[in-house]
Amino acid sequence: MERFIDLSLSAIMLAGLYATMAYGLGLIYGVLRVVNLAHGGVIMAGAYLGWVLFERWGIDPYLALPLVIVASFLLGIVMYRLLVRHLPRGPAGGPASLLLLFGTWLVLRNVSYLLFTGNDQAIRTSYSTASVPFLGTFVSVNRLGVLAVAVVLPILLQLLLKKTYTGRAIRAVAQNADSCTLVGVDVERIYALTFGLGTALAGVAGLLSATIFSFNPGFGSGELLKSFVVVVLGGLGSILGVGLAAFILAVVEVFAILVLPSYLTSAVGFVMLVFVLVLRPGGLFGQRVLG
Amino acid sequence: MSAALLSVRALSKSFGGLRALDAVDLELTAGEILGVIGPNGAGKTTLFSLIAGSLQPTSGEVLFEGTPVTGRSAHRLVRGGIVRTHQIVRPFANLTVLENVTVAALHGNRRADIPARHRAPRVLEFVGLADRADQLPGQLTLAGRKRLELARALATIPRVLLLDEVIAGVNPAEAVALAALVRRVRDELGTSIIMIEHVMPAVMSLSDRVLVLDHGKKIAQGTPAEVVRDPGVIEAYLGTSSEATAP
Amino acid sequence: MSVSTPDLVPPRVAAGFAAGVVLLAVAPWALDLSPYSHNLVTLAFLLISGAVAWNWMGGFLGQISFGHAALFGLGGFVSARLLLSGPVPAPLAWLVGGLVAGVFSLGAHPALRLRGPYFSIATIGLGEAVRLIFTYWEDFTGGASGLSLPIDPDMKHQLYWWGLGLAAIVVAVSWLMRHSTFGLQLLAIKADVDAAGDVGVSATFYQDLVFVLSGAVVGVSGGLYASYFSFIEPNDMFGFDRSIAFVLMTVIGGVGTILGPVLGAIVFVLLRQYLLASYPDLYLGLYGALLILIILFEPLGMAGLLRRLGHLLRRRRVPAAAAGGTP
Repeated sequence: MERFIDLSLSAIMLAGLYATMAYGLGLIYGVLRVVNLAHGGVIMAGAYLGWVLFERWGIDPYLALPLVIVASFLLGIVMYRLLVRHLPRGPAGGPASLLLLFGTWLVLRNVSYLLFTGNDQAIRTSYSTASVPFLGTFVSVNRLGVLAVAVVLPILLQLLLKKTYTGRAIRAVAQNADSCTLVGVDVERIYALTFGLGTALAGVAGLLSATIFSFNPGFGSGELLKSFVVVVLGGLGSILGVGLAAFILAVVEVFAILVLPSYLTSAVGFVMLVFVLVLRPGGLFGQRVLG
Repeated sequence: MSAALLSVRALSKSFGGLRALDAVDLELTAGEILGVIGPNGAGKTTLFSLIAGSLQPTSGEVLFEGTPVTGRSAHRLVRGGIVRTHQIVRPFANLTVLENVTVAALHGNRRADIPARHRAPRVLEFVGLADRADQLPGQLTLAGRKRLELARALATIPRVLLLDEVIAGVNPAEAVALAALVRRVRDELGTSIIMIEHVMPAVMSLSDRVLVLDHGKKIAQGTPAEVVRDPGVIEAYLGTSSEATAP
Repeated sequence: MSVSTPDLVPPRVAAGFAAGVVLLAVAPWALDLSPYSHNLVTLAFLLISGAVAWNWMGGFLGQISFGHAALFGLGGFVSARLLLSGPVPAPLAWLVGGLVAGVFSLGAHPALRLRGPYFSIATIGLGEAVRLIFTYWEDFTGGASGLSLPIDPDMKHQLYWWGLGLAAIVVAVSWLMRHSTFGLQLLAIKADVDAAGDVGVSATFYQDLVFVLSGAVVGVSGGLYASYFSFIEPNDMFGFDRSIAFVLMTVIGGVGTILGPVLGAIVFVLLRQYLLASYPDLYLGLYGALLILIILFEPLGMAGLLRRLGHLLRRRRVPAAAAGGTP
């Protein structure tokens, strides 16, 4: 019974993490129609940034959050302005955008490798191992923190999208960029902004992950796939959809530990991905857009 | 039942809660040009997509020469002799005009007797694009691309040709030329045609019969003269009945 | 209007190709290649075969696979296992490896229905799943310790010509594919898969066919690779880095062209040797940067650059001829 609660709590926390990541990927796709293959790289970059801030200057990861958000946001803006902006729009840009962002991912990986070596790292704070009693078992304080952030951020973003002018502009561009130009929306600025928001979420997800898992420059490919599973499964339309899909994925993963030998649990995400893609050909991307 | 070449019975398509097409019947006899008109969003292109295999119907059936072909995939239907063009033309941008048509010629109607490589140039001559054979679609005008779209469809040697707004959007001179071309397709090639069109003078002069759709339902059917006078049709267009008499 | 249907293989191209193959075949004796160079060229032949085969999917059909290592590893391990099990002639083992990889590709049929980015991401997932499964299927792959084949210096030496043969066949097939009506249909599918269906092209058929061919060739190259190194291990053969290599070689060389993957594979082999020796820590980043530069400035990679160069040179020559003078 304890184990069950343990696993359930793990699943909930993982779900929050996956939802945050997925939202970042989905936002970029929903608005720009570009799959950010560098998503995993940005997550990894966020993890390293948090780690550096902690190791070098002793900044607690939760305090470092705003810094990581801003830095990841800026990284996204740079990526857009420098690279993505030049891609041909529409279906012709498809393979090109995949390859371009993939190349970016490789560069991010290598830069991290040069700066930090390939060794596994993790953020271990004084409270990493602290836990509080809950329902007969103990819950890690850190995991609660991760869950809190992972839930709050997407909600904040959703509010931004629904209530602010910029948010409405983003949703409008997602629906019909050409019409937006006609009514005076600076579409390029919205694209850059959205890309930045997407990478900001990825960076935060990376920071949070770093407090739970160990990571190295290769970190992120699994996260990319999982984000993709969540977006395809949950659609882009609502945060509830993303949350639910993230929860399903997390539950399957966590409880697979009970059934599968340990080495195969990482394959669960990949297998789910293939299943989800096959059962929903074309994905939900095409139909449901932000709004 | 009379020897209808193509029969559509109670064909419907719903997208979630939206009924795009609601129990539409139609019959196309061999050698006929059937016009399909209706306000925007009436379901005309959906009708084509259902007949030509791009979409699966929610209910209803399509019969070709008496054989049910409902829900068959597009490429199989093309080989059987039913082909459609697109409202917004979709040429293969990376292939030349000739190559575009060659691809279509490769899989056409099995009854074809001319090898694909020779059929393609002939089709280009028929539609008047022979001198542009080596150009890319991007180098053509809209009228040229519409002719290319038509050429591609013709290269499959269709028995039934579904033309989706092949005339709309070009200048009046080109429109007249395209209309004449459509007539030649029926007269010289013997192809039966269903054409969706907004350019009223063209569809009214070309069609033997006209079918009117509105909000997914068939609201009228008859000769062009009959349909133009139908009060339901006039109401559906609500004040744009003057279109029917515009030059 | 009469259309001259061009020869499928213009005589000049055929002659040039044949000459090239013959030259390469006699090179080891004619140039008295050192073992190092001999082996490097052998490796290049293997990588050329893989890259050209990947290009059928990625370049002609437009379906970018980030998981081809699965097929490469499959071919390699099946072939190695066969060789270890008894007196099986190597070419047969390689062929069986390719066959198994080809059948596996067919199994990926549902993934082939996916469009663009969905397909690519599915291949990442498939590739990694295969890697995990085979890494831990120790009975078959030897797990982390891998499989060792008996070292056979004669075989390694002969692999030069086996590799040349494979590369020559694959490049020839590539040419035929591209210049035939078969190739036209692939390109049509690449341009607009739905419109292709609307004119009678069965996209799933061609996608399956090309994927099987691509997988089979890559599997065979995996088999030769195993015989070449006499030692293979799953993390390397099935690894993401290996999948990446296929993409890199082809894109850098020129995705969608015939010469591109050949050039890309050659550059890759040379660069890798150089980088591994001098800057082992930089090669991923360098490739990433190259990829970015190519997508932004010359999508057709090196082949595209050569083409531009050719245009430039032709333009320079014409004015001189027009002026009546010698250039």
